[in-house]
Amino acid sequence: MRLLLRRLGWSVFVVWAVVSIAFVVNTFVPGDPARMVAGVQARPADVERIRQQLGLGDPALVQYAHFWKRLVHLGPSVIDAKTDPAHANCAAVVPLGASAMHIDLGRSAQKRQPVVDLVATRLPRTLALAMAGMFVQLLLGLGTGVFAAARRGSWLDRFLVGTSLLGISAPTFLIALVLQFVFARGLGWLPLDGFGTTLGEHARCLVLPALTLGVYGAAYYTRLVRDEMVVLLQQDWVRTARAKGLSPARVVLRHGLRNALLPIVTAVGLDFGALMGGAVVTETVFRWPGLGELSVKALLDRDGPVILACVVVTSMAIVAANVVVDALYARLDPRVREAG
Amino acid sequence: MRSILTRSSPIVLAIAAIALLAAPLGCDRALPSPISSAHGEDDTPRRGGTLHLAAFADLRGGLDPTGYLDGLSLGPIHLLFAGLVEYDEHAHVVPDLADHWDVDDGGRTYRFALRTGVTMQDDAELTADDVKRSAERALHPATPNPNASYFTNIAGYEAYSTGNAEHLAGVVVEGRYVVAFHLTKPDSTFPYLLAMHTLRPTCRSAGDRYSDSWLPCGAGPFKLPPGGWRRGTSLRLVRHEGYFRPGRPYLDAVEWTYNMTALAQRVRFERGELDLARELTDADAGRFMLDQRWKPLGIVEADTAIYGESMNTRMAPFDNVEIRRAVAAAIDREHQHLVQPSRMSVLTQALPASLADDDPSFTGQRYDYPAALEHMRRAGYPYDPVTGTGGWPHPIEYILYDPGLDVLTAQLVQQDLAKIGLRLHLKTMSYAAFLTLQERPSASAMSPGNWMLDYPDPSSIFDPLFTTGAIAPEGSFNTAFFSSPRLDDLIARAHLEMDQTVRKVLYREANAIVCDEAPWAFTFGHHTFDVRQPYLHGFVPHPVWPLDVSGAWVDRAGDALERALGPGLR
Amino acid sequence: MFDARARARFTRNRSAVAGTAIVAALVLFALVGPLLASHGPLESDFAHGVGPDKMPVGPSAGFPLGADRIFRDVFARLAVAGRLSLLIAVSATLIASAIGAVVGIVAGYYEGKRFARVVSVDGILMRLVDVILAFPFLLLVMAIGAALDRTSAVTIFVILGVTGWLSIARVLRAKTMQVRSLDYVVASRALGQPVGWVMLKHILPNVAGPLVVSATVLVAQMIVADSVLSYLGVGIAPPTPTWGRMLFEGQDYYAAAPWLVAAPATAILLAVWGFNMLGEGLRDALDPHEI
Repeated sequence: MRLLLRRLGWSVFVVWAVVSIAFVVNTFVPGDPARMVAGVQARPADVERIRQQLGLGDPALVQYAHFWKRLVHLGPSVIDAKTDPAHANCAAVVPLGASAMHIDLGRSAQKRQPVVDLVATRLPRTLALAMAGMFVQLLLGLGTGVFAAARRGSWLDRFLVGTSLLGISAPTFLIALVLQFVFARGLGWLPLDGFGTTLGEHARCLVLPALTLGVYGAAYYTRLVRDEMVVLLQQDWVRTARAKGLSPARVVLRHGLRNALLPIVTAVGLDFGALMGGAVVTETVFRWPGLGELSVKALLDRDGPVILACVVVTSMAIVAANVVVDALYARLDPRVREAG
Repeated sequence: MRSILTRSSPIVLAIAAIALLAAPLGCDRALPSPISSAHGEDDTPRRGGTLHLAAFADLRGGLDPTGYLDGLSLGPIHLLFAGLVEYDEHAHVVPDLADHWDVDDGGRTYRFALRTGVTMQDDAELTADDVKRSAERALHPATPNPNASYFTNIAGYEAYSTGNAEHLAGVVVEGRYVVAFHLTKPDSTFPYLLAMHTLRPTCRSAGDRYSDSWLPCGAGPFKLPPGGWRRGTSLRLVRHEGYFRPGRPYLDAVEWTYNMTALAQRVRFERGELDLARELTDADAGRFMLDQRWKPLGIVEADTAIYGESMNTRMAPFDNVEIRRAVAAAIDREHQHLVQPSRMSVLTQALPASLADDDPSFTGQRYDYPAALEHMRRAGYPYDPVTGTGGWPHPIEYILYDPGLDVLTAQLVQQDLAKIGLRLHLKTMSYAAFLTLQERPSASAMSPGNWMLDYPDPSSIFDPLFTTGAIAPEGSFNTAFFSSPRLDDLIARAHLEMDQTVRKVLYREANAIVCDEAPWAFTFGHHTFDVRQPYLHGFVPHPVWPLDVSGAWVDRAGDALERALGPGLR
Repeated sequence: MFDARARARFTRNRSAVAGTAIVAALVLFALVGPLLASHGPLESDFAHGVGPDKMPVGPSAGFPLGADRIFRDVFARLAVAGRLSLLIAVSATLIASAIGAVVGIVAGYYEGKRFARVVSVDGILMRLVDVILAFPFLLLVMAIGAALDRTSAVTIFVILGVTGWLSIARVLRAKTMQVRSLDYVVASRALGQPVGWVMLKHILPNVAGPLVVSATVLVAQMIVADSVLSYLGVGIAPPTPTWGRMLFEGQDYYAAAPWLVAAPATAILLAVWGFNMLGEGLRDALDPHEI
């Protein structure tokens, strides 16, 4: 229990540190957000007026303090944006009687919407893509790794490991390009890009991006799994088990894989965190409207509130993934026992 | 010990290389046939049908004429809002919602008589009050209007825009259908400004003030139906049945889909799901134009932008006018044109092609290598191409943003200038950073300049780019920081001059000064290149507005059924 | 670690030799290729490079691998690009691996232990990793680019160096946590051997497996990373070619001129293969176990 609390304490610290650094960086990277809102050919007087209207004229420290003060606070449980402008950008999340816990991430200068709305719409989409991508990666990666280890030296082994290298030698936009050409353009089975309007369309649009991420990430898992398992399969106790007559498949799956999981779990944790940051390139190529695409546009447009919100979400996801991974260590490998 | 990699590598490598080469060739064989019109070449406009368009980007902001107006948002905004005046096919200002107008008081008062019986999209009648209210909404201090500064000349603007006056004194309602604009100084460009979308009338029922959730409602040929705008996905506009021009518009609806990649646009266009392809990649545009079936279906929109190399006249070496002239003569514009042959045109002077002087005796800037070397010699930095010695001794920093068209043209400019002894060092950065640095007086020596016409008059180019008044310590559009008293005088006189012939002469002289003193080396103009399906008719490129489909109609075989059953079936 | 037996194992390993040969061939191509090419890598040839349809020419006499979007010789550019791509990839990987190994092993070894009841070395190191990992990549790139005032090879180097060691550190930490309780490690410490010596002699060879695998994957990622940076608009400033940038520049023309994409992609593939075989050979030479 104490351990968990300590972990959570550290997690909060990490999130705070990351957001603060991002805030500082964002303040000093050149570029004028008011100008990006007003447009390239807007006169300086108009840009200045827009800057004041958006509240971008305040000094950085004031904006920083304002951000944390507003992030989580108490407010009315029903928000009416028109009559209550102070809570216009909030989302009421945890009802506590007459009031509720509000989350306020500010207002996007570019999109002119509360940032919580943008995040709420896009987070599930990135989550779906991350999980689908993760699923394909593990399926391809673990699957090929296990098969390759079990059939060591065979054609299958050679072919699987060889093709896995293709995955890591190509950047995601190239994999995406080839997949688009083959599946969507050539064969016409899947949509080229976008998000669709119905649930069925969402699922169909998810296939190619997930496959892109899967192909790209699987290679690492293939190699990792295969190498770990081959080492393990040669250990004495495994040979003993085989000599006792247990089937190779059973031996591989029950005894081999479990022990190989430790570095794999680490990699999965890292991976999931990275994917939750929004697989930026994949989302851009496939026009998948998730957090990655949002954060890239916000960075290029210097839209501070959106950038910070994405940083908050990403860092929370990564930190959560780490906590889960660390907790799994002890369960998976008795040798790795946390002291105190 | 042999690794499995050794034995598998050659095979997989071969497969990969072949796959990379074959995938596009196999999947992309030949262009399909154009989908023909239901009634062949018959040119009679037909009523009904939906026009389908797409774009890679997404709408920024809202559909508010007082807000951000870029190429993409202008498409729907132009269909939603009609103005007092509009541009005709020759870019002359003609009455639209106004029946006629008079100019009084030496050019200081413009009095408009509105048409009677014009219905707005909320079924209210358009009156002079709507014009005043819309102007006040656009110029209100709380409205994030990036174009408000165009209207500083309206009397009372100062007081109103700072919140010191409740109403805009310079816009006077003189009758139910008569409204007058009073200006502080005579200004011949005022009708052009009024034709812009910023002050176009909006409905009373939509609200007097700007708000982020404002729903567009105006007097244009198309209106926004409830639920017609799904942000980030699509926008559907339907015919405004009460539009004041009888029988128009022909189309039932216009639909945009946003966030669609160029590849997807091409595929959908080939299948007939999109009726007009506007964002083809350069390679695709080339292929369509080479195909004999598609060649006549290419449409070239108006050339309303200028691109060039902006040289900071306050920083060495470009404080020396001979070096600037050398640069202007050293750039081979035909080579630049080859980067995007379907969209780029050669530019040799300050005005875009849609405004250019057709005077054959006007030379402007030209590629002339011997002359360039001569200019370098006169500058005091002679360059010997044979030995490669001489020229400007230091590398010149050239800032630009990545990615974009400018990256490619900059590399060509770098090669051209190396041939006259100027060594460019390219420095890339994000677009926001680039804008900030380009518009600061001592931040960069050279950068790519470009400008789009805000309205079809030479003042739209000269005023912001080359006048002394446009220079500012931050955010200066005059990125060359060019100052010429003679030019300033010409421009000021042109604003006061009401005679168009005299104005033309003044601007020609201004053009000659700018081409000779070369704060910019003008390189190319840019136009949008579209390909249409044969069943899309009536899309005539407007000289000012991008994608003006207000006069278009479609004639598809399938549309007959839709017309019989009603548009709601789609 | 690199004793005679290990060297002998390496040279007997055909895949290791093959990998070394491929890498050497690529290096040779990068150094000598531009001398063999008929054009310079930065010259646009409008006389011969423009096809009849105003598009760049394909593989032909004067242009063995075709011409790029502004009519430069792809062969020459590919060779010159190899210099920068290989240099950045290898050096960034070596540095990232070294830092990652040190951090990972130290963190893994001291995991759970506290000095003076307060300072947790593992805790501090891993929180540092978390903070850098959680930081948005593009923002980091823009920040470094702005701080260093340019996007150049140095910027890319710093970016890759700063972000590359993180995953290695985490993976090695996990493996070290397993390895530290091996019999001979515990015995060694009990006998009073200094910690650093124990880490070097006992722990490092045991974590060499995941380390080498991670490093070889990292090389591939480094080569490819430049391409992603170009896609995001912060790659190496033109006109300097890198394989990654050439890949990015060619994608619009994939349908009309696939060689623009195939050439750098094949070069990257070869490099990845070569380094992987080399790495695998190293791992087999160092690691007593047979794979």
